[in-house]
Amino acid sequence: MVRWQRGLWLFFVPSFGLLAVVLLWPLGYAIYLSFFDYYLGSNVRSFIGLGNYVDLLTEQRLWRSMWTTIVIAFGSVGLEFVVGFALALALYRLNSSARVFSVLLFLPHIVTPVVAALFLKWMLAANWGFVDATLLTFGITPPDWLGDPFWAKISVILADAWIFTPLIMMVLYAGLQGLDESLIEAAQIDGASNWRILRHVIIPALIPAIIFTISVRLMDVFRFFDIIYVLTGGGPGTATETITIYTYQLGFRMLQVGKASALGVITLVIVAALLLTINRLLNSIYRGGDR
Amino acid sequence: MAPLAIRRATKSFGGFEVLHGIDIDIEDGEFVVLVGPSGCGKSTLLRLIAGLEDITTGEILIDDKEVSRLHPKDRDIAMVFQSYALYPHMSVAENMGFSLRMRDVKPPERDRKVQAAAEILGLTPLLDRYPRQLSGGQRQRVAMGRAIVRDPKVFLFDEPLSNLDAKLRVQMRAEIRVLHKKLKTTIVYVTHDQIEAMTMADKIVVLRDGHVEQIGSPLELYDTPANAFVGGFIGSPAMNMLNGRIGEGGRSFVTDNGAELPLAAPPRIEPGRATIMGLRPEDIEIDEAGFPAQVQLIEPTGADIHVNLEVSGDVLTAVFHERLGLSEGQSVRLSIPVDKVHFFDPDSGDRIVG
Amino acid sequence: MTVADSPKRRQRETYLIFIALCIFTFINLMPLIWAVLTSLKDPRDAFTIPPTIIFEPTLEYHRQVWFENDFFRYLKNSLIVSAGTVFISVPFGCLAAYALSRIPRRSAGPILSALFTIRMFPHMLLAIPFFVMGTFLNLIDSYVLLILALVAINQPFTIWLMHGFFLEIPRDLDEAAAIDGCTSWQAFRIVILPLARPGMTVAALFSLLLSYNEFLFALVLTGTDTKTLPVAIASFGGEDISAWSLSAAGAIGIMLPIVIVMLVLQRHLVRGLTAGAVKG
Repeated sequence: MVRWQRGLWLFFVPSFGLLAVVLLWPLGYAIYLSFFDYYLGSNVRSFIGLGNYVDLLTEQRLWRSMWTTIVIAFGSVGLEFVVGFALALALYRLNSSARVFSVLLFLPHIVTPVVAALFLKWMLAANWGFVDATLLTFGITPPDWLGDPFWAKISVILADAWIFTPLIMMVLYAGLQGLDESLIEAAQIDGASNWRILRHVIIPALIPAIIFTISVRLMDVFRFFDIIYVLTGGGPGTATETITIYTYQLGFRMLQVGKASALGVITLVIVAALLLTINRLLNSIYRGGDR
Repeated sequence: MAPLAIRRATKSFGGFEVLHGIDIDIEDGEFVVLVGPSGCGKSTLLRLIAGLEDITTGEILIDDKEVSRLHPKDRDIAMVFQSYALYPHMSVAENMGFSLRMRDVKPPERDRKVQAAAEILGLTPLLDRYPRQLSGGQRQRVAMGRAIVRDPKVFLFDEPLSNLDAKLRVQMRAEIRVLHKKLKTTIVYVTHDQIEAMTMADKIVVLRDGHVEQIGSPLELYDTPANAFVGGFIGSPAMNMLNGRIGEGGRSFVTDNGAELPLAAPPRIEPGRATIMGLRPEDIEIDEAGFPAQVQLIEPTGADIHVNLEVSGDVLTAVFHERLGLSEGQSVRLSIPVDKVHFFDPDSGDRIVG
Repeated sequence: MTVADSPKRRQRETYLIFIALCIFTFINLMPLIWAVLTSLKDPRDAFTIPPTIIFEPTLEYHRQVWFENDFFRYLKNSLIVSAGTVFISVPFGCLAAYALSRIPRRSAGPILSALFTIRMFPHMLLAIPFFVMGTFLNLIDSYVLLILALVAINQPFTIWLMHGFFLEIPRDLDEAAAIDGCTSWQAFRIVILPLARPGMTVAALFSLLLSYNEFLFALVLTGTDTKTLPVAIASFGGEDISAWSLSAAGAIGIMLPIVIVMLVLQRHLVRGLTAGAVKG
């Protein structure tokens, strides 16, 4: 670093000092706790090494919650991406009226997630919810949206999509607006179809934005808590119990903080591995050259 | 106002050396221009003097005091940036007075100095404006105003005119020169434009690839370039370079393409030695008794005529002040006054002094 | 496809897209509309098949939720926590982000990656130690602990966001300031910071939004005294259908301030969302 700018290191001190205290230290403490059998209610703790990890990895409930997380994560991110991209393209195409639409479409995302989940709950509630009331009017018997294990998963996916599609739409729309229009025009003059333009001009140019949104969303989904908590509480049974909800149950309902910490660490490892893989994959597909 | 000396200065970026042992002495009040093609290290050298980059080895002395470890603010220098670097949220007066404010100069005195500097640069009516409300030329002036207001020991200019249009550039060139006459402060001025260097400098430092190629007054550089690079870099249109050897008895120069150009007096170089002959376009004369050439291209610029002449495979550019009524394809005869010819060694590029 | 027929076709396509988007937007907003309607309904209008569209609206439940159910106190808590988070997170984040934008790229790169990695921490992994430590230090149900937790999850994003803004301010200005006699601190405070004000607005806005909306930490770290609005509304109901109108009124009340702030500051919004999206 250039001599006259050396003082700049001091600028990091407040922020990084704070992060060390409120982030790294708690994190270290959580990892430490994960080696103990620790029930917060009785305040007795005993060191059991990797006992919590062994327990967790050998029990059914963890693997079930993992599977639920994966289903919900890929279901919702996939849905959000497809719908969000379609909306972004539509906005890009409309141009003049896009502003009004983008504001209206964005509303669900800025609403407090807990509130948004409540809105959806009132839509999907049995009998008196808007959806059921409407369907019953026409004599259609609706499924039990939140009470049936299958439909509850679908409802959770839809809820996540309702709240986060606007985010993906906005990021991709911003990316589209940054595109060099002359590229698209040149392709049109060359007689390329819309599909080919999308495939060969637009998508490659948006790759950074796409990688960014998908990674950010995937890591969000893995800590996705408030919506499920309000909408189904993980139920019925454990049908919508994701890893996060399971950790919450362990740590804050059963007060097994040691085991819950171990589960948190496992989640961290999974998320990190997943993101690395996605980044590598997407990078190699699009840097590997044009096909 | 102070002398400035750079001693054996080197600069490396991550193990890659971009300046190799630079030695320059600048006298008090001198206007020195650092010139060279892009990437030659001239801007880096200026930033070393300013203290914006750390010197790797060597030293920099301002007013005989070693400063290379000091913060830029403690070197008592002022700098005009290529981008002007005006503070967008401050008015012209605030921009100009900023360095005084940082040095705790009292507001009344500050105002007085800003007024005085604004007077010199004709900025008085603009003092309350903001940079975004100014034209390019006005911003350039404010950047200079900011520099002169403090009366520093050395002014540093980093390609200050390159963002201006051609006409304004010529005008500002003259103004900076006049300003220097008035203030008599040492100036180090970086440019890639050799015409700026020739017209403004007391002393020019030609840099290439992190080496000093030559230091001297504009005319010294023009008349006796130390090597083929300086010869080719200074002067426009560029010096003609012909590869060949000195003919028998030193009476002619034989090009590699076989043309024999008679020399009026033999140069003091042993015959048969391979050399590069450098020939300024304006030194070529039409002479019925000379060697034959063919007119290839004529470019009238109004004041002069640039003519490309083919001499058995080599093309020479010549500049004539008279309207000779030449036409393309025509055959002419040329001669070269012997005292205007430069010879360089083809391997080292160095000037061969006869 | 010939060039001649394409403008007409494009026109028709655009028209269809417009219609489709209108329909989609309407359906998409239905949960919101439904909640607004519910909050204005008397329970006898709320539970009907088919759903009632035309009814006599009442603001009774909006009044009740704020004046008889302590929502003003929760709002106060939310505001204290949000303000605390913004006032710690943004200044600290600005300092670090500025330094990050000025140090050599090869040093800044790893720090940025580290910050990005920190952003993906499962919040639950942080909530547990906070909860355990809070229990020991007797800090559960205090503002301080919640604010610190929110700063922890917010700080990396703030730095990341502000870093982008500082990069846009030319380094020449720092250099000019240094030559004009500024120390790094003076250059930052007098020259750079005033130019970063739009960025700070965005960062503050996003910190505010995050802390106002945050649920997990608020749920486990607050109690009766410091409960924030999201926790209050979540515990308030949804279960008991007779309280629908009341909780809908509460929900709308929580939503309204954000919607208004965001509509006003809309143009800053995209900037925050896309931070880091273009260059990773």
